[in-house]
Amino acid sequence: MSAASQASAAGTRRRSAVDVAAVLDLVGALLKWFALAFLLPVLIAIGYGDPAWPFLVAGAATGIAGLLLDRLSPPGEAERLRPREGFLAVALIWLIVPAFGALPYLLGGGPQLDRPLDAYFEAVSGFTATGATVLDDIPALDHAMLFWRQLSHWLGGMGIIILAIAVLPRLRIGGRQLLQRELPGPTEIERLTATIRETARRLWTLYVGLSLVAILILCVIGWVGLDPAMTPFQAFAHATSAMALGGFSTKQHSIAAFAPITQWVLCAVMVLAGVNFLRLHRLIVERRPRLLARDQELRLYLAFLVIGAVLIAVELFSASSAPGPGSGIREASIQAVSIMTTTGFASADYTLWGPLAIMTLLLLMFVGASAGSTGGSIKVVRHLLLFRVVRREVRQTIHPEAVVPIRISGRLIDERAIRSAITFVLLYVLVFALGAIGLLLDARRVGADLSAFDAIGAAAACIGNVGPSFGATGPFGSYAGLSDLSTTILTVLMWLGRIEIIPVAVVLTRGYWRS
Amino acid sequence: MRVIVIGAGQVGQAVVEALEGAHELTLIDIDPARLLAVSQLADCRTIEGDGATRQILQEAGVREADLAFACTPRDEANLVAAMLIRRLSNARTVVRMTDADYIEAWHEGDIDVDAMVSSELATANAILRVVGLPGAFQADDIAEGRLQLVEFEVPGDAEPDGIVGRTLATAEIPAESRVLAIMRAEKRLLPRPDETIEPGDWVVVLAAPPAARRWSHLLAPDGLTVTDIVLLGAGRVGTAVARVMLGRGVRVRMIEADAGQAQRVAEQLPDAEVYHAHGLDSEFFSRELIGRATAAVLSMGDDPKNLYAAILARAHGVPLTVAVMRDPVSEQVFELGGIDVAVNPRMETAALMTRFAHDPRIHQIVMLDDDRFEVLDLTMRDDSPMVGRRTAEPPEAGVVFGALIRGEEVLFADDAVLQPGDRVIVMVDSERAAVVERSL
Repeated sequence: MSAASQASAAGTRRRSAVDVAAVLDLVGALLKWFALAFLLPVLIAIGYGDPAWPFLVAGAATGIAGLLLDRLSPPGEAERLRPREGFLAVALIWLIVPAFGALPYLLGGGPQLDRPLDAYFEAVSGFTATGATVLDDIPALDHAMLFWRQLSHWLGGMGIIILAIAVLPRLRIGGRQLLQRELPGPTEIERLTATIRETARRLWTLYVGLSLVAILILCVIGWVGLDPAMTPFQAFAHATSAMALGGFSTKQHSIAAFAPITQWVLCAVMVLAGVNFLRLHRLIVERRPRLLARDQELRLYLAFLVIGAVLIAVELFSASSAPGPGSGIREASIQAVSIMTTTGFASADYTLWGPLAIMTLLLLMFVGASAGSTGGSIKVVRHLLLFRVVRREVRQTIHPEAVVPIRISGRLIDERAIRSAITFVLLYVLVFALGAIGLLLDARRVGADLSAFDAIGAAAACIGNVGPSFGATGPFGSYAGLSDLSTTILTVLMWLGRIEIIPVAVVLTRGYWRS
Repeated sequence: MRVIVIGAGQVGQAVVEALEGAHELTLIDIDPARLLAVSQLADCRTIEGDGATRQILQEAGVREADLAFACTPRDEANLVAAMLIRRLSNARTVVRMTDADYIEAWHEGDIDVDAMVSSELATANAILRVVGLPGAFQADDIAEGRLQLVEFEVPGDAEPDGIVGRTLATAEIPAESRVLAIMRAEKRLLPRPDETIEPGDWVVVLAAPPAARRWSHLLAPDGLTVTDIVLLGAGRVGTAVARVMLGRGVRVRMIEADAGQAQRVAEQLPDAEVYHAHGLDSEFFSRELIGRATAAVLSMGDDPKNLYAAILARAHGVPLTVAVMRDPVSEQVFELGGIDVAVNPRMETAALMTRFAHDPRIHQIVMLDDDRFEVLDLTMRDDSPMVGRRTAEPPEAGVVFGALIRGEEVLFADDAVLQPGDRVIVMVDSERAAVVERSL
């Protein structure tokens, strides 16, 4: 498409290198489909006798907005999405979808969610699978509303855009860029042999399949009486939250409300969901476990989990009120897994633990799950890449002429991918630091009592899509006490964390908009 | 036989020179200057044009050809030529190849040519045989590697011992080996029992591989086994050598001046240590302790540089230097310059290729001492006049029987009765080779 025809397609818009109409068209198409998601909580509302109208109204609004945007450009004009538009599309979709997702909270969420900023925070936290909440009293919400929170995790976890690629025929072309932007982590180092559409379908099929298995296991635990609190509704709520590595719970005290066996099952689901789904597909569908055994990212991922759990266990068992061996190991493991995979479930109030455990949890927030999983944060593979770069630098200090290509699991890593990983980590740390400083500045402004560590924790938990942090915003607390500005800062951090910053950085450059 | 040779580069030229006289040769090349140069050295028809086209092949008389060599430096051109020849005639096809993937495909039967010969592998193997046998300056595998033909130099200052200074009858010669000749002052001495091995001699030995190593140990007792090798020049030859060495658990360091090539090699060979540096940088040699290597292989594609780097490596303490030459003229320069072994890739390739031009009974020919002598590995005719005769009574003077292969058994017996179907390894003067071939 030439620049001239673009301009005519965009009507009176100023000439720009970016085909905004095509992006809005895509957003519209996505919203049309997204409107269907509101039907599920309607069914729950009818089943439990809760009001269904907030979902019907929100669904209708979403559908109408989608249709309007879809009409914006004549058919055929916006069929092809170029890589350039991909950045804007991803950034916008992750802003707009939670906006519509927040409507039910605003309409029927009661006094806790009746302010637009709070409702939007809760929705962004849901769709980015963060799990940070502004709710001080979670059980006050009705079943349908609780269901919608959990569903937002599950839809956002594997990614609404990947779902769109799997079902929208128009994304056959241009989908590759979107898929790579959407799938968390540096997946450009993956060799994708299937078509983009096929890959997207595989990912979602696997995601749905594993979620169903997890729900079924939890249901069985409830049916046979191992955990009386585990009803099918709770099974769905927590299995999907764990699969999405989200962290929302229907209980005020998160998964501490459930029996140890339930907690272990959820722990296993989190560990599994934190593995690269492209690898999981290889293991479960293609049955090639050997490739998995050689996978260095997977090994480092498990090593991080074990080290984190051990450090926390050391703290727990050396405390004056040491727990029993069974519950100590359980609490250490579940907290390490939950925080590192960026889920945010808690089986104990870890804010009461000693400094070693707290520090370990804070650092685990920066590890994250594997690339290509549903988790957030920096991701294990980037840490692995940085280790390799450091090792190379050390080697080249002794042997200046040595040529040392970097490999992961025996596969060569392109220097561009290495640079982009380093760039990402630097940007991540920069945005995190700005966020933490912003929170402290705002705390000074309103005279709130926020410690430096709590500011660091909140910023790290939100940009890493973890959810709960430390202090008042811990796992059994909420983000309700923060000022509007702080809530906004954290909302932006969650958004940036989910789309991995780069698209926003690109969209904010002047060169992006000029040809 | 009618033979077509495509490509008049050094390989093609070596093939033509090896086959000239005995066969009717047609040489094809796109460069008339190269054709002219070869036709002045050897008697052959020349055709100017692209050997990978039907028209030129037909012009060369491909229909009547019995054997075709495709030895241009371009793999794909060689393959296309071979495919066309396959369709246009019944000639056997021998193809020069560099790409390891194609060679693998041929081994697995997916590329339909009669033989593929790789310059790089041939060179790498030549280097490996020498590096594996200290004291040897040429070594060839015979009978699918069951035997080795090795030339050893007896050091000029060697003290009399179990071998040196004794007659062949009394010398403690390792089992499963036989002396085929002693070269003294450019002359070949037949291995009579009363002949002695003197310091400064060259000894030509046919031996099973373990026996060859014992020879190496006897004549070069302080010769070291190579455990740490430095390759200067990481081109195709260097990479091929590195690959085999790494497979044997040897530490391999590669030094390449071209940044892109260094990167590619480092990517291909995860276990090699690759440096982007000049092979002529003494400071670099000191910093990286290059002198601790047990052997240096020079394959930088530039003979003067190879020579300089070899001397530099030696100055830093590398005991064994092996140079791959680009120009055949360099062989003498290398030798005088003090390089231990000089390898000519094109000769190695041509030697492998021309094997296919011989009588199918002949398994192998190894040329020795500037082609003055040949060692033949051939199967006896059933009606040969030699059947029933003893190996101690050669058909004519100057013929030395080395070993017999009967079934799976290798016989080094000094005196055995020849039977039909025996495979014999025999050393002859090159001029008499055809006569001996016929009588066997």
